[in-house]
Amino acid sequence: MRAALTGDNVRAGLIGGVVVLYLALVGMIERFQDRDVITGVIGLGTLLILIGLAGTGYMASRPPKPRSGQEPVSANPALKGLVAGAVAGALTGGVILVLELLISAGADVRSVLASVTPGMLSTLEFGLGSFGGAAILVALGAALGAGTGALRLLSDHARDTVTFTVTSLLLMSLLEPILGAVLDGLGLPERWLYQGGGLTVLGAILTVVIAGTARWFWKQREPQRKEAVASMPADRRSLYRKLAVFAAVALLVVLPWIVGSFISDVLGTVGLYVLLGLGLNIVVGYAGLLDLGYVAFFAVGAYATGILTSPASYLVREEGQLFAEKGFTNFWVALPFVVIIAIIIGVLIGAPVLRLRGDYLAIVTLGFGEIIRTLVLSDWLSPYLGGAQGLLRVPPAPPDALDLRAPQNVYYLILVFCGIAAFVAWRLSDSRVGRAWAAMREDESVAEAMGISVIRYKLLAFAMGAGVGSLGGVFFAAKIGSIFPNSFGLLVSINVLSVIILGGLGSIPGVIVGSAVLVGLPELLREFAEFRLLIYGAILVAIMILRPEGLVPNKRRQRELHAREFELGATAPDEATA
Amino acid sequence: MTTPKTSSSRRLRFERLPLRRIILISLSIAIVYGVVAGSAATIRLGTYTAADWRTLVINGIARGSVYALIAIGYTLVYGILFMINFAHGEVFMAGAYTAFFVAVAFGGSGYLNEHPLISIAAILIVSMVTSTLVAIILERVAYRPLRGAPRLVPLITAIGASFFLQYTFRGLYGAQARAYPTINILEGTWTIFGASILRKQVIVIVAAVLLWVALFAFVAKTRTGRSMRAVGEDREIAALMGINVDRTIVATFAIGGALAGAAGILYVFLFNQVIFTMGFFPGIKAFTAAVLGGIGSVTGAAMGGLLLGVLEAVGPNLFLTGAEVPSPNQLQPVVAFGILVLVLIFLPGGFLGAPEEKRA
Repeated sequence: MRAALTGDNVRAGLIGGVVVLYLALVGMIERFQDRDVITGVIGLGTLLILIGLAGTGYMASRPPKPRSGQEPVSANPALKGLVAGAVAGALTGGVILVLELLISAGADVRSVLASVTPGMLSTLEFGLGSFGGAAILVALGAALGAGTGALRLLSDHARDTVTFTVTSLLLMSLLEPILGAVLDGLGLPERWLYQGGGLTVLGAILTVVIAGTARWFWKQREPQRKEAVASMPADRRSLYRKLAVFAAVALLVVLPWIVGSFISDVLGTVGLYVLLGLGLNIVVGYAGLLDLGYVAFFAVGAYATGILTSPASYLVREEGQLFAEKGFTNFWVALPFVVIIAIIIGVLIGAPVLRLRGDYLAIVTLGFGEIIRTLVLSDWLSPYLGGAQGLLRVPPAPPDALDLRAPQNVYYLILVFCGIAAFVAWRLSDSRVGRAWAAMREDESVAEAMGISVIRYKLLAFAMGAGVGSLGGVFFAAKIGSIFPNSFGLLVSINVLSVIILGGLGSIPGVIVGSAVLVGLPELLREFAEFRLLIYGAILVAIMILRPEGLVPNKRRQRELHAREFELGATAPDEATA
Repeated sequence: MTTPKTSSSRRLRFERLPLRRIILISLSIAIVYGVVAGSAATIRLGTYTAADWRTLVINGIARGSVYALIAIGYTLVYGILFMINFAHGEVFMAGAYTAFFVAVAFGGSGYLNEHPLISIAAILIVSMVTSTLVAIILERVAYRPLRGAPRLVPLITAIGASFFLQYTFRGLYGAQARAYPTINILEGTWTIFGASILRKQVIVIVAAVLLWVALFAFVAKTRTGRSMRAVGEDREIAALMGINVDRTIVATFAIGGALAGAAGILYVFLFNQVIFTMGFFPGIKAFTAAVLGGIGSVTGAAMGGLLLGVLEAVGPNLFLTGAEVPSPNQLQPVVAFGILVLVLIFLPGGFLGAPEEKRA
C-alpha cells in the first residue's frame, strides 16, 4: 500500500485532475455532452470525464522505467491506478465543490470563467449535487483507475482487445452522421443501431461483442497471417495491392450517391483540403520548407478565377465583350491561366526568400500570407478585388448540363484533380527531383556540395506547391460561387499544416487521413467546431513530441526523424547535452 | 560527344541567369522609388501638419516600446535555445487578459481610482505572474521534450502551442472583446517641451525604459544572467562548468514571460481592450522588432521595437497618402510585414546581431 502512495502516482493523479478540469473549464465537457454516445445512457461529455480518469490510472500504472542504481519500486499496478485515479477525482471534485460554494456565496464566477455554467457543473457532478458529485468523482476515479491499472496485469493480447473494443465503440458512435447516412442511402433500417445522434443500447452491445471477438481472433491468427503474406509470391502480393487500391477508388466513386448531398458537400471540402495538403506536402514534406503562408496561393487561385470568370469582376465587366467572345470567361479556359499566374507569383515570392534559413522562411511566408490578405481587404485594391465585400457571382464550372454546383459533382471534380495531384506527387517523390529534395531537406550544404542546385529545387518545390494550392482556390471559388477575403486567413494555412503533420510529412495517404480526421470530422460533428483550433494546436504539439512522423508515416522521413536519436550531434552540436 | 557538352553548357548558362538577383534588385528599386516618391508627394500635399507628425511619432514610440518589451522575450529565448518561440504573443495575451479581471474587481469597488498606484501595481503583478507561469509551463510541456530535434520541429510545436493557448483562453474567459476600466490618472495630457503628449503614452514609455534597464542590469550583472549568456554561448561547456542548464532555460522563459506580462498591461494602457486574439499581431511585430535589431541582442530588441513602432505609425501616412491610396491606415500590417520581409531578405542579421554563419 505504501508503495502505491509514492509521489509519482499522486503526481500522475494531479496531472489527470488538471486535464479533466481543463476540459471542463474551456467548455468542452458541456458542449460535448450535447452529443450522445449511447443515447439516453451516456453523453460524450461524461465519457470525456471517464476517459480522463481512466487514462490517469492507465498512465500511472505504467511499468517503472529501470533507473540506474535504484531498485524500481514495484507495486500492484491496479493499486497505483487506484491511487492516481482517486487523486484525479478528488482534485476535480474539490475544485468543482469550491466553485459551487463560491456560486452559492453569491460570487459571479461566470463573469470570469465563462464556461462555469450550471450545465457544466451538473455534468461533472453526474447530477448528484455538489457533495454527492465530489464523492462520486473520487469513487469513479478510484474504480476506473484501478480498472485500467488492472489492465496492466492482463496479457498484451487481452489488453489490446480491450482497448480496441473501447475505441471502436467510441468511433462507431462518433461516426453516426456518416454511417447513419450510409445506411439511409442503402435503404437499410438504422433505428436499431442509431437513435437521436448516438448508438442505441443494442447497437452498443453489438459493437462491443463484434469488435471484441473480431479483434481477439484477428490478433490470435496474426503470426500465421504474417507468414502467409511473407510466403506469397511477389506478383500475387502486387495483385492484391492493386485490388485494394481499386476497391478504395471504387468506394470513393460510389460514396456520394450513397451518403446524400450534405455529406457529399463535406466530402468535397475534405477533398479540397486533400488537394491543398498535397500541394503543401510538396513544399514542407518533400522539400522541407516550412511555408506558413500557403493560404496566399489558395487566395490567388480563388481570386484569379473570380477575376477571370465572374461577370462582376472589372476585367470581364469592362472588356467583357472581347473576353467572352474568345471564351476566356469559360472556367476551363481560365483554369490553366490561373495556375500559371499562381506559379509566377510563387516564383516571385519564392526567389528572394528561399535562401533564408528554415525558421525565418516560415515567418516570412506567414508575412506574405498576411500581406496578401490585407491587400485584398483594403479599399485601395477594392475596385479590382472587391475589398471587404468580396467577389460575387463566380460562375459554376461548365458544361451547365452537368450542374457542377451539385455537391456530388463538385466532389467528383475535386476527386479527379486530387487523383492527378496525388499521382504527380507520388511519381515525384522517388524521381530525381524527389531525391534532390530529400537530400536538400536532410542537409542543405551537403546537397549543394553534391551538385544539387538548392535554390532551383527549392523554387521548383515552391512553384509546384503554388500551382496545386491555386487549384484548391479555383475549386473553392467554383464550389462556393463567391469569394470573401475572410476565407483566406492564416487559419487556412494552419489547417493545411495540421492536416499534413497529423497524417505524416511527405506521406500521400497521410494527407488523406489527415484531412478526413481534421476537416471531415469537425464538419460532421458540429460540437467540435468551436474547439477546432484548440484541438489543432494540441495535435501539432502532441504529434511533434510523441510521433513526429505522423499517423501514416513516409518511410524515408521516419528514418530521418529517428536517426537523430542516434546521432544527436549531427544536426545541432550544441543541443546534445540537454 | 558534342551534344551533352552543349546541353550542359546551356544548363550552366540557365543557372547563371540571376533570377533571384533580378527580382531582388527590381524589388529594392520599386520600394525605394515608392517610399521616396510617396513621401515627397505626401509632404507636398501638406495634408498633415508638423504637430500631426509629432503625434504620430510619439504614438509610434509608445507602441514601439511595448513591442520592445515583448521582443526581449523572443531574443532571450533565441539567444539560448536558437528557436523562435512563436507562442510568445500568447504569453503576452495571457497576462493582460487575466489581469483584466483584477482591474474590473478594483474598478467595480471604486478602489481603482482611490488608490491608483496600488491597483496598478496589483494588476501589473497579476499579469506578470500569469505570463511567467504560462511561459514556464510552455517550456516544460511543449519545448523541453524537443531539445535537440531538427529546427522546424520546435517551430511547428510553437505554432501549435500558440493556437492552443489562444483558444484555451477563449474557452476560459469567453470570446468577446472586453474594455478595461478607465484609470483616471492615466487620462489627460502633459506638456513636455512645449508639446502636449498623452499621459498614458509618457507613462508607457517611461515604464518600458525602466524595465529594459532592469533587464539589462540583470543579464549583465547577476549570476543567473551570466549563466544565461554562458548557456547561449555553448551549452555543453556551460554544463561542464557547473551551470544548471535546465534551470537557466526556465529562468530565461520566466524573464521573457514576466516582461511580456508587463508589456501586456502597458499595451492595455494604450489600447484599453483585451481579447483572446490580441497576442497574435503584437507577437509577430515584436518578432519583427527582434529580427530588425538583431535577434539574440537585448539592445537590438529595444532599438528594433522603437524603430518598428515609429515606422508602423508614420509609414502608411507618409508613404501612401501621397500615392493617393485611400485609407492608408488599413495597410499598416503591410508596412509591418513588409519591413519583416525586407529585413530578413536584405539584413538577416539585423543591426546588432552576429553574422548569420556564427549562429547557425
